[in-house]
Amino acid sequence: MRLELRGITKRFGTFTANDQISITVEPGEIHCLLGENGAGKSTLMNVLFGLLHPDEGEILIDGVATKFSNSGEAVRRGIGMVHQHFMLVPVFSVAENVVLGFEPTKSLNRVDYKKATDDIRRISKEFNLEVNPDAIVENLPVGLQQRVEILKALSHDAELLILDEPTAVLTPQEIDALMAIMRSLAEAGKSILFITHKLKEVKAVSDVITIIRQGKVVGTAQPTDSESQLASLMVGRDVALTVEKSAFTPGGEVFEIRDLVVRDDRGLVAVNGVSLEVRAGEIMALAGVQGNGQTELVEAIAGMRPVESGSIMLNGRDITNASPRAVLDAGLGHIPEDRQRDGLVMSMSVADNLVLNTPRRAPFARRGSRNLGAINDNAERLVKDFDIRTTSTQELVSSLSGGNQQKVIVARELSRPLEFLVASQPTRGLDVGSIEYVHRQMVDHRNAGNGALIVSSELDEVFALGDRIAVMYAGKISGIVDPSTSREAIGLLMTGTSDGVTHE
Amino acid sequence: MSEVVTTGHRASLWARWTSKSPIVVTFFALILGLLVGAIIIITTTPAVLDAWRAMFHSWGAPGHALKVTFDNVGAAYRTMFTGSVINPSSFGHSLTTGKGWSNTFTPISETLTYAAPLLIASIGVGIAFQTGIFNIGANGQAVLGGIAGAVVGSMLHMPTVLHLPLTLLAGIAGGMLAGSVPGLLKAFTGAHEVIVTIMWNYVMYAFLLFVVLSTPFQQPGQQNDISRTMDPSAQLAPLFGTSSGLRVNYGIFVAIAVVAFAWWFLERSSLGFDFRVTGANPSAAKASGINSRVVLILVFLVSGGLAGLAGIVQAASTTHFIDGGFLIGNAGIGFTAITVALLGRNKPIGIVWASLLFAALGVGGRAMQASTGIPLDLAAVIQSAIVLFVATPVLVKELFRLRAAPTSSLQLAAKGWGS
Amino acid sequence: MTLLSTAKEPALTPAPNRRTRFIAITMGIIGLFSVLVFGLGSVAGAHSSLTFNPVNLSSSAPWHVGTLTLATRWTNIGLGIVMVALGVEVFIRRPSRGVMARFGGVAIMFLIALLLWAGRTPGPSQVSFVNVTAILIGSSAVTMVLVFGSLSGVMCERSGVVNIAIEGQFIGGAFIGSMIASTTHSFVYAAVGGAVIGGLLGLLLAFLALRYQSDQIIVGVVLVTMIGSLSSYLNLQVFTPFPQFNTGNLAPNLAIPLLSKIPIVGPVFFNQSGFFYLMLVLVGVISFALFKTRYGLHVRAVGEHPQAAATVGINVVRVRYINVVLGGAIAGIGGVAFMASQGQFQPGYTSGLGYIALAAMIFGRWRPSGAVVASVIFGLSVYLSYILVSYQVPVSIYILQMIPYFITIAVVAGLIGRVRPPAADGLPYRHD
Repeated sequence: MRLELRGITKRFGTFTANDQISITVEPGEIHCLLGENGAGKSTLMNVLFGLLHPDEGEILIDGVATKFSNSGEAVRRGIGMVHQHFMLVPVFSVAENVVLGFEPTKSLNRVDYKKATDDIRRISKEFNLEVNPDAIVENLPVGLQQRVEILKALSHDAELLILDEPTAVLTPQEIDALMAIMRSLAEAGKSILFITHKLKEVKAVSDVITIIRQGKVVGTAQPTDSESQLASLMVGRDVALTVEKSAFTPGGEVFEIRDLVVRDDRGLVAVNGVSLEVRAGEIMALAGVQGNGQTELVEAIAGMRPVESGSIMLNGRDITNASPRAVLDAGLGHIPEDRQRDGLVMSMSVADNLVLNTPRRAPFARRGSRNLGAINDNAERLVKDFDIRTTSTQELVSSLSGGNQQKVIVARELSRPLEFLVASQPTRGLDVGSIEYVHRQMVDHRNAGNGALIVSSELDEVFALGDRIAVMYAGKISGIVDPSTSREAIGLLMTGTSDGVTHE
Repeated sequence: MSEVVTTGHRASLWARWTSKSPIVVTFFALILGLLVGAIIIITTTPAVLDAWRAMFHSWGAPGHALKVTFDNVGAAYRTMFTGSVINPSSFGHSLTTGKGWSNTFTPISETLTYAAPLLIASIGVGIAFQTGIFNIGANGQAVLGGIAGAVVGSMLHMPTVLHLPLTLLAGIAGGMLAGSVPGLLKAFTGAHEVIVTIMWNYVMYAFLLFVVLSTPFQQPGQQNDISRTMDPSAQLAPLFGTSSGLRVNYGIFVAIAVVAFAWWFLERSSLGFDFRVTGANPSAAKASGINSRVVLILVFLVSGGLAGLAGIVQAASTTHFIDGGFLIGNAGIGFTAITVALLGRNKPIGIVWASLLFAALGVGGRAMQASTGIPLDLAAVIQSAIVLFVATPVLVKELFRLRAAPTSSLQLAAKGWGS
Repeated sequence: MTLLSTAKEPALTPAPNRRTRFIAITMGIIGLFSVLVFGLGSVAGAHSSLTFNPVNLSSSAPWHVGTLTLATRWTNIGLGIVMVALGVEVFIRRPSRGVMARFGGVAIMFLIALLLWAGRTPGPSQVSFVNVTAILIGSSAVTMVLVFGSLSGVMCERSGVVNIAIEGQFIGGAFIGSMIASTTHSFVYAAVGGAVIGGLLGLLLAFLALRYQSDQIIVGVVLVTMIGSLSSYLNLQVFTPFPQFNTGNLAPNLAIPLLSKIPIVGPVFFNQSGFFYLMLVLVGVISFALFKTRYGLHVRAVGEHPQAAATVGINVVRVRYINVVLGGAIAGIGGVAFMASQGQFQPGYTSGLGYIALAAMIFGRWRPSGAVVASVIFGLSVYLSYILVSYQVPVSIYILQMIPYFITIAVVAGLIGRVRPPAADGLPYRHD
């Protein structure tokens, strides 16, 4: 089919996720959508798949303006989606997953698995998607699971396939296999919308490339363009936010990770032998697209995830596999990635949250009893010092804006005597004012001679804060550079391309 | 959970008043619960049914049927009230003649007598709920506490100043012991506490029968399932002396102490803070250094201990012995405690009012049974109905078109089996 | 980035090794107990006689299976050693599958050893033999009720809703069933009545849980309390003044002609009440529906991954409503069946069977067939705790009554983490 998106705009409150986006996908074309996290790709896809309604703009299929009120309708009109988080029932077989909702039946409402399996084998052969229909999905490697998602879409007679970051979870061999599949699907006349941030793949398989940044289309490109050109379009050439930083005079080593290996929830290796050290008075910014192991790395440092091998040392103390309590007591400050889940208790007051992880000893407690006076004084002081906008220290933290919630966490961590600070995506979801504020706090902390590791998928932030920049890709550090390095070079490191630019 | 917001018609005063607090929702839930009770009375009282069946016999028949209905329901609820709070006519009589005060105050005294142990148990359940734990085993813990306390109270002999505290402590210990089973199992095997506690309740009931029928604990010379009577030195004596006929006793001081403890524990103590954080957000609790396993075991000890204390307070202040039917049944104190805790939003102050209300319903139910013959199980049904309505605040609001009355966190995080 | 998108709490479960060891140690202790008390506790010359004739002579078979006599001491020591051996095997080898199956085996051996010991001669027992067939028949009544309950649990939980109120549905069904059976003398109408009341309770549970996202467990517990009290009340208001509404409702056994004459097992399977046969049919129907039909595929998808189901157009809420109502109806019929095996209604006489049924469902891994096996084991233990009294076992009857509950606790504690409930079980579904 020929798909055209004209002027699609979607807002969430004051935040514009998609701003007048226009894209055309021809039949048989592999059209790549390139962009960083937060660029607006997922929102756009949800609009296309009927999960969200656009505020402005229209969708035209084969020239006809169409509206979807739910994903069922999108499916029926021939749009198929291969989700980033698979919509597969893990304990079902391939056949059961593929036919779900569209089952062929025989007498007594029985599912006709024979017909289903035949259909699957037919489609498999036609599009080179070999998969055993009787295999249980959760036992399949991720690459095959993805094939099942594709099969599912094809079995619904999809003419346009949307693949949302499909290679995020694949091994290199599986990626090659997927590329081959995409090519054969395109040859068969299907249109493919391929969303990714990985330049190698873009160049390997796309016919047309559209680059999205901050909700807008910033340009189109050809696969023959150089990687540097693509990277620069994707990350932009803007000068980073200026934050005053005093001269960089690092002290001794204060934090060290050596050969760390950590597994994720599925048991796969997420952190694959990471080593880095940070000195006092230095901010090490860890850049990289989300999903390359940063989350697991921070969780391991904070004591929330077991370390399989390797070590984490804080000021010479081994805190590998220590409990969160021990890690906090050793002087580590932690600003978690998911502030509402791991950092705050939404139903408690600002004052309580400000002492959430502070040891239950003096000054906030005395012989088992909390010293409310000290807690409140502390709260008053921090609210003033850190400019937390709240009507009172007793107000529930749930009624604060995202920015102020983050300020509570920042205030809490930075007001303790810290040996080292670890912050993960510290300004996610914040407005510009709050971002500036948080950055200032981090730099003040560093100016005072303390060290910090800040994990961020926002390059602006990485450049603004980092005295040194480490880039993480696929569970490894792909390079450690200084902030004078060009954005394109960092972009390349983030997307798996190493051009040899690695210096301490 | 989407809020139901009405626009327009019920504006200004009514809307402002009804959006004040969860107390409003509770009040309306109470009305609905009483309505449910009324319907049950109507459909099961022969006189009322007959009157309605004869509805079409004459022009005056529907009116008569209504009158009979109101008479019966009214009588039931009136005796509930006079039996649990105060009888205005006897109050008036006492005022004018200066006599019969003990008659006048008996209803309130009874309510307070039953409220005390109920309050203690409900506080225990409420603390558990605030930590995210369903302690459905409060009844079994109360039973074991009652047994332990009654054993100490009847088989050891010493002066009151030692005996009474020791008896109460034994009750707490018994409850802790009973609570430790689900606690340890959950901490070390992850077993979901709901089934374990419910099963353990039945184990405790069997143990109770065993103890009062097959051991030296049985009352000497008795074939029935009655235990030895507790020494007077271990009993919670009536405040106004036995001759006053008023049973309200020192148990209420124990209850007050428990409320004070609970308030201090939850609001002021570090451990209580850890409990609350664990209940509100287990992830953040872990990230902030709280040791969930320790919290888990402790919460069952605290909650169980309080339930055990409730059990012994009940025994020591009323019957002074325990029998085979002690606390058993669906309306046992441990189950009523769950409904009270839910009604009181798991907070000590709310639980105080809720336990007074439910104790009144229970005591009133007995009075109602005595005078109208309506079985007192009806009171338990009304209690459950009230709680169901409270558990669905949105439903109540929809029924009464209340404007977005704030509902504090009654919905616990819904969970399935074994984490 | 995970395939399994259920919300996760920080896992409290310890390493599987520790739990496996715990189970192994428990098995070993049970085995040791058997050796010491049941084996060595029997005098050397004692023997136990097992008979296999049905007690009900009117269906006596043309065959006659003789009495099997076993030397009590050695048989029990042998059984105990096997149990300890299994425990040791689990401890050392820590198999990843079948640990609970082994535990189930140990439980059965324990019950057998217990029986042999209780019925030994010479011994304190008045009864000089153990009638295996009679025991099987007797426990089948309890098993039947447990199967109804666990089927109800399977129906509800496979679609993602936890139904704690099974006990309440039993009580409601038993009450209504007795009333209807007493007035219409028809068990069919009684069953229908039970189904209706169970279905209504299920509807209430579903309504509160799905529409208002109330916590399913709390609602379930409160519902049971309410129904329990209500049934007590109605018992006093209706059954006491009008006992004719609550009498003589023992469902007659319907013997299947030839099959009921099969030695040993014939009377157990083929000479039962209509409810028993209904139960067997239901097991088959539900197994078929859940695992072979389109409806079942939708149900299971909703229970495992409601979002995936929603993206292909399945109405998650509607599927859950239907299943919870059906599940409630089945539990209601189970209540009627229980009443029909006891003859009348008494408040509180279900004594927690509804919760044991839930444990049977877990033990049976949320499959009807597994639930049946689990129900047999639990049913046996419940029934034995009733009849051991007649064997003059020198243990208080009340301690004996605790056995089924202990077994349930052990099963539940041992199973968590080893079995997987439907992934979305109990989690509220928020559709955006």
